[in-house]
Amino acid sequence: MKIKRRDFFPLAGAGLLAGYAGWEGMRSRRNAPAGPSPVVVVKASSYSDDLAQRILRGVRECGLDVRDQKVLLKPNLVEFDPNTCINTDVSVVAAAYEVFKSLGAAEVVIGEGPGHRRDTYSLVEMARYRDISKFDDLFVDLNRDDVSSVQKFADRAEMYFPNTALRADLVVSLAKMKTHHWAGATLSMKNFFGLVPGSVYGWPKNELHHIGIPESIVELNRIFRRSFAIVDGIVGMEGNGPIQGTPKPANVLVMGRDLPAVDATCCRIMGIDPAKVEYLRMASDGNLGNVDESRIEQRGEKVSEVRTNFALIDSFRGFRLT
Amino acid sequence: MYWPLVPELSLDLTLRVDWADLFLVVDSYLGVRQGILRRSQNPDGGWSYYNGKQSWLEPTFYGALVLHGDPAADRAWALIKSWQQPDGSWPPTAGAAVSGWGTALCLTLAHLRGDVDGTFLKGLAYLLKTAGTESEIWRRALAKFGLVDPGRNLSLKGWPWKTGTSSWVEPTAHTLIALKKAYALLPAPEVAARVQSGEALLLDVRCKDGGWNYGSAWTLGEDQRSYPETTALALLGLQGREEAFSAIDLATRWLQETPSSLARAWITIALRLNDVAVPETTGPSKGSGSPDLMFVALEALGAPDGNFRFLKTEKA
Repeated sequence: MKIKRRDFFPLAGAGLLAGYAGWEGMRSRRNAPAGPSPVVVVKASSYSDDLAQRILRGVRECGLDVRDQKVLLKPNLVEFDPNTCINTDVSVVAAAYEVFKSLGAAEVVIGEGPGHRRDTYSLVEMARYRDISKFDDLFVDLNRDDVSSVQKFADRAEMYFPNTALRADLVVSLAKMKTHHWAGATLSMKNFFGLVPGSVYGWPKNELHHIGIPESIVELNRIFRRSFAIVDGIVGMEGNGPIQGTPKPANVLVMGRDLPAVDATCCRIMGIDPAKVEYLRMASDGNLGNVDESRIEQRGEKVSEVRTNFALIDSFRGFRLT
Repeated sequence: MYWPLVPELSLDLTLRVDWADLFLVVDSYLGVRQGILRRSQNPDGGWSYYNGKQSWLEPTFYGALVLHGDPAADRAWALIKSWQQPDGSWPPTAGAAVSGWGTALCLTLAHLRGDVDGTFLKGLAYLLKTAGTESEIWRRALAKFGLVDPGRNLSLKGWPWKTGTSSWVEPTAHTLIALKKAYALLPAPEVAARVQSGEALLLDVRCKDGGWNYGSAWTLGEDQRSYPETTALALLGLQGREEAFSAIDLATRWLQETPSSLARAWITIALRLNDVAVPETTGPSKGSGSPDLMFVALEALGAPDGNFRFLKTEKA
């Protein structure tokens, strides 16, 4: 068959596209979980419970080995409001620090790049993080850390990230269980917005909104794949989260190495259908992790026993899990 | 007596500064901070946010304002002037190919230094062509036909943190300062028009409580609360606008209440620029205790004998 010149470019274009799609698919599949993903749900009735023991159980049940690893603990400090519960509770952060140190990590640092307010240490102070011994020696303000670029982030040619996050062997998402007025729910995956430096992208990190919130969440989780999730659902937030909602006790910690699986489990606990949360759907379609219940190996408490419906704003009423 | 921020200064010093520094200049609030800045300047002439890190445009700008007239400030300007990008903008740090709000800071500094050359004009041209994406024609059309409710007037143009994103209070306030200073040199109608539009935008996004959030006053049907630091920055951008004066009482109250040393520094500067006496603070004795060198520079700027006047603007 003779290919005419005018046919060549569309064919070549199609070939390139097919090649690119195949390469992208391989890139995704290369990281996809091989089998069902373990997700551990443990009960904790209050922040004065022995949280270190509960987190240790979660880490062990997930088979996580952090010996000689550089670990970055990434809590949620996006803002502070004494009248509600925006932040990962300090006792969860302190317990996680204790656990990862005790498991032989070479280095454990706590880092966050708050999304809205510019005085990071004021948030740290108000959220009582300085109650953690030697906190200032452990903390890195990810909004103002040295940065390096990573090639290709969604439709952007490059994106800048804090060196502390890029050089970590493991990023532990210490997220808060909250509803979110744009995304439906903010859990361990969305918590990675705090890895984007405000010193480059501003306060808020509006670049991520322009890329697309679901797209940005998925891209961040593709870049920071060496991760572990600990979601603070002891007291979460319902209604108009992630800032203006109201406290909602769910009395659980949810943990796992597969962040989409952890977040899907959190959604089920919150009475939200994870299949309707766009970034989880994209994560599942892109083989970033398991979202389907049949692909999640639930350990610890059964979801049905800890489920407590979080109030949803009108635009997310259709997300209610039946 | 002006001595409001010393408690947190002592905390800062424990974090990174020799105690000897305090005793050498114990009688000078400004001198302590100038000394910290001199000693923490990076070899390349810039300042980092935190000691020992890479130089960033923002702390370098404030450091240069504080030490204006000192060789340290000359080195700082030589560094960041060299960072200008082909589109006329400045990146937030060397090698980060991102165009953004730092451009306004560089124009303000260039104006102060009388360095009004091609670099300045290219920066000015960048600011005049840059606007938040919410004012794009198709977004205005959607709002006009009631397909979206932005809760604000989209015909008004502010400035984004980064090119290609929406406008926000802080970059808009900084750009208003830069453009008003530019207008004093180059009274072009397009500069005046952008200043008027930017000021109108700030007034349009004012919160119900009289202050400013970092963005809109309203999101998804909910009123947004205002914050001390963004309210102070809006007051800087709106210097001389009577409509903004009522926020001064709010800012003065926050000066007593906020635990943020950044917010207190910005409020102090805003009050001074609006010719309001800065009261002695009786509020929280323990501040945020941030080791951020930019905060040190802002505190120095806000001292009674500080260089806050360099941010003073006249009407365009």
